[in-house]
Amino acid sequence: MSYKVTEEGNVATIHLDGEIDMDVTEKAKEVILPIVESGKEVHLNLSQVQYMDSSGISVLIESHQKALENNTKVVVKEVSKSVLKVIMMAKLEQILNLE
Amino acid sequence: MDLSESKDFLVHTASLKEVRVFSREVFDKLKLDNDLKEELVLAIAEAAQNIVKHGYKGVDSTTDRMEIKISLKDGKLEIGFFDKGKPVVPENVQHRQLDDIKPGGLGTFFIKQIMDAAVFKKDQKGWVNHLVLTKKI
Repeated sequence: MSYKVTEEGNVATIHLDGEIDMDVTEKAKEVILPIVESGKEVHLNLSQVQYMDSSGISVLIESHQKALENNTKVVVKEVSKSVLKVIMMAKLEQILNLE
Repeated sequence: MDLSESKDFLVHTASLKEVRVFSREVFDKLKLDNDLKEELVLAIAEAAQNIVKHGYKGVDSTTDRMEIKISLKDGKLEIGFFDKGKPVVPENVQHRQLDDIKPGGLGTFFIKQIMDAAVFKKDQKGWVNHLVLTKKI
């Protein structure tokens, strides 16, 4: 997994690239959670993520919940069809902020 | 087309990508529809992840290997997982309730959603656990 972070005002956009599984979840959390904890609104761009398993879904949930604790939000953007299918299987499409 | 292929992997999170590559290669030979293929790959990867995460919980590193065997016969897909981790008590394998939103506990749910059945067998010669996932395709 690789990533790129861009910031504009109070919004940080994190572009993730690759397959998100248990092997990379710690790295993903190390990238996402500190930005969420700083109070910035985080836009997670998943257009280059073609595979995500339950570990990746856990990162999305943890990021979402951490954002609520910090009075901000995580917006999950440009989700690929395959990843959306997993999000929907977990019945999280109404919980996560999907765009 | 009937087929049976198996491969063993080091019990480690870094092996999960190899598990997916192996699974996709087998399913490509079976010319499965891409959506079905990716669902099956997810189920296999979740089961392999459970071995790494739960079967070897508390173990920093191991040289143990796990084996995955994918077979198709008469339209029934059977995927076997063999490992030497902690013995699984099938009754204790539960997924979390979906409305209890929290990280974790979804892997087993995904497997049950995708596959027709998931059964721990008692014929694990030389292994500790033998999980069999089946699906009519």
